[in-house]
Amino acid sequence: MLTLDLLINGLVIGVFYALMAIGLSLIFGILKVVNFAHGEFYMVGAYAYTLSALSLGISPWLSLPFALLVGLLLGLVVERLLMRPLYSGYTSWGVMRDEYAVIVTFALSIFLINIVDKVVGPYAYKGPALINISRITIGPVAISGHRLVAALLAVAIIVVVALIIRYTFWGRQIQAVSQNRLGASLAGIDTAKASAIVFSLAGGLAAVSGALLANIFNPTPDVGVFPAIKSYVIVVLGGMGSVPGSIIASIILGVLESFGGVYISYQYRDTFGLFILVLFLLFRPQGLFGEKAREV
Amino acid sequence: MPTRRVSLLAIAAGMFALTSTAFAADPIKVGVTIAQSPPGSVSQGTQVKDGAEVAAKIINDAGGVNGRKIQLIFEDTQGVPEKARAAVEKLITRDQVVAIIGEHQSSAALAGIEVAHRYHVPYINTNGWSDVIREKGYAEVFNPGVFNSRVAIAVADTMKSLGAKNVLAFCENTDYGVGLAKLIGSQIAERTQGISYKYETLDRASKDYLPAILPLKANPPDVIVEILLPPGAYILLNQLNEQGVAPTAKTMIYDASGIADYPDFWQNVGDSAVNMLVFGLYHPKMALPELGKKVAADYTAKTKADPNRLLFQAADSLFLVAEAIKAANNSTKPDDMIKALEAIKWSGTRGEITFSKEKSGFKYHQWLDVPYVTFQVTKVKQPVADMNLVQDPGKPLDLSRIVKTK
Repeated sequence: MLTLDLLINGLVIGVFYALMAIGLSLIFGILKVVNFAHGEFYMVGAYAYTLSALSLGISPWLSLPFALLVGLLLGLVVERLLMRPLYSGYTSWGVMRDEYAVIVTFALSIFLINIVDKVVGPYAYKGPALINISRITIGPVAISGHRLVAALLAVAIIVVVALIIRYTFWGRQIQAVSQNRLGASLAGIDTAKASAIVFSLAGGLAAVSGALLANIFNPTPDVGVFPAIKSYVIVVLGGMGSVPGSIIASIILGVLESFGGVYISYQYRDTFGLFILVLFLLFRPQGLFGEKAREV
Repeated sequence: MPTRRVSLLAIAAGMFALTSTAFAADPIKVGVTIAQSPPGSVSQGTQVKDGAEVAAKIINDAGGVNGRKIQLIFEDTQGVPEKARAAVEKLITRDQVVAIIGEHQSSAALAGIEVAHRYHVPYINTNGWSDVIREKGYAEVFNPGVFNSRVAIAVADTMKSLGAKNVLAFCENTDYGVGLAKLIGSQIAERTQGISYKYETLDRASKDYLPAILPLKANPPDVIVEILLPPGAYILLNQLNEQGVAPTAKTMIYDASGIADYPDFWQNVGDSAVNMLVFGLYHPKMALPELGKKVAADYTAKTKADPNRLLFQAADSLFLVAEAIKAANNSTKPDDMIKALEAIKWSGTRGEITFSKEKSGFKYHQWLDVPYVTFQVTKVKQPVADMNLVQDPGKPLDLSRIVKTK
């Protein structure tokens, strides 16, 4: 029975990892940069959900889309103000400097943590539950009502995002820009707009992930640091820029940590992902679904 | 010429007198290292800050230390050792403080005392529980707060009184957490018989403790001892409750970290903490000396909040610095202050404080008789004053007062 418990916990955690990592993967796919402030989008979403529900007294079911909206807007603003210099015309793409993205996103991360710390305060806030059932028992498995609902919602959001990217007009444009920015631009695709959509979407996904977990992981200003590190590992394991790869890597990591925490060592649970990362970098550096090289 | 020489001498003498007067009126600078931002415990840092400020106001309102006011200089350590080291370095070299107080996290204290020791500046460790802090044997370090060995003895005695056979501790991966978990094991082995004990280390930064909790569902222990600071402690309590592991009729929770008086406690735990036993260094029903009552009243007037243990520990830390300077005939020289602190016998906010001179082990410069109590949370959103006091200071645990989960 423990096996079933661990499997379900691993799947649930994996789904939350996926929700977080997809945004990071999309950003890398289209901009070829790592957003070091991704965890802080998660944190902002967690606070937007928790504080809007607790302070304004609105239903958690309304706070959830509010957190999503805050994340979408934050992503959009960050893209327009900070990321746009990276690709203000495809001719500048070739001279884009990774240093700029690293410094800007790192600075943004520190800024957001400190601004929340000073404005909201350093104390932890447990987010309200989406449903007030402290424990649902299905056979030998016990899970809180909120955790179950949050996991189901996360799955639904992932499916919707995957469908949008695969079948919609803008989704296909994002795919095109991800495959070849210059080619997409020559084909008439507004690459700047595609980048803005991706950054905004990534912000929204991270924020809604934080909101869904606010009841479980009691947000503090630095709550996003740890999930962000997991997301970086997942994005590399899945293949840089690959959304399906990120989803599968998230599930694998969630389940591995759950079982490894019991059967290997709980103390070293957080090193499992890093260990696999090292193995991948040595033997399959392109990750699960990544390309070996890009040639134009 | 003689007239001119006399005039010059008179001016020089006047200037010397003025300088001396100014020197006498200079404030006494005391450095306070606390966590004011994550990942350190900002809840604790804020309580220590308030305690030091209340004590400083009491001293200054009474005319200061022989006419010299106390000036507090705060530095944020974030609970991180390297930042604590830098903070102490800055306070000593740039701010020229006469002593350091305030540290409330063991890992940060262990880093800070190295710098204080190097510069030979008195360091009053307000709340670093790790025994290693005293075991270093540094003459500059004094400990008016509780210490892991005392907590471990309290936990072992409580487990014995409860009749527990199977005890599991969850500790955070810090010097404090792992150190206390190990000491509880030694004290249980030394002071009790037939109790099986083990501990599991949890990462403070990680938030998913279920892989450590799920195996307990098949074979739950009699007592789970929680040795984490918030927010990890809150998350652990919630996840234990979510899985139905504790609190239950079979399994009690014992909080060895004293988290129930934190300002964000009820915002984060809900019914997960009901019937939890708490190791406490302060409870409103404890008898306090006059100074303790004064500090408690001033704190409530300042913050509109109920007093807490760290308030008293921080206040005592600053009062001790002031008392040491007075006892050293107003000298702020490190050797004079250290000598005065070693000889001190002073009634603080929690009782009469003296420091052990036994040089071996954790007892060195430690106040050994720090009072403690055990109380029990019996309702959601319960103020500390209404929590059930099940062990008075210096008395054994009163089992008849304990409420069991049904």
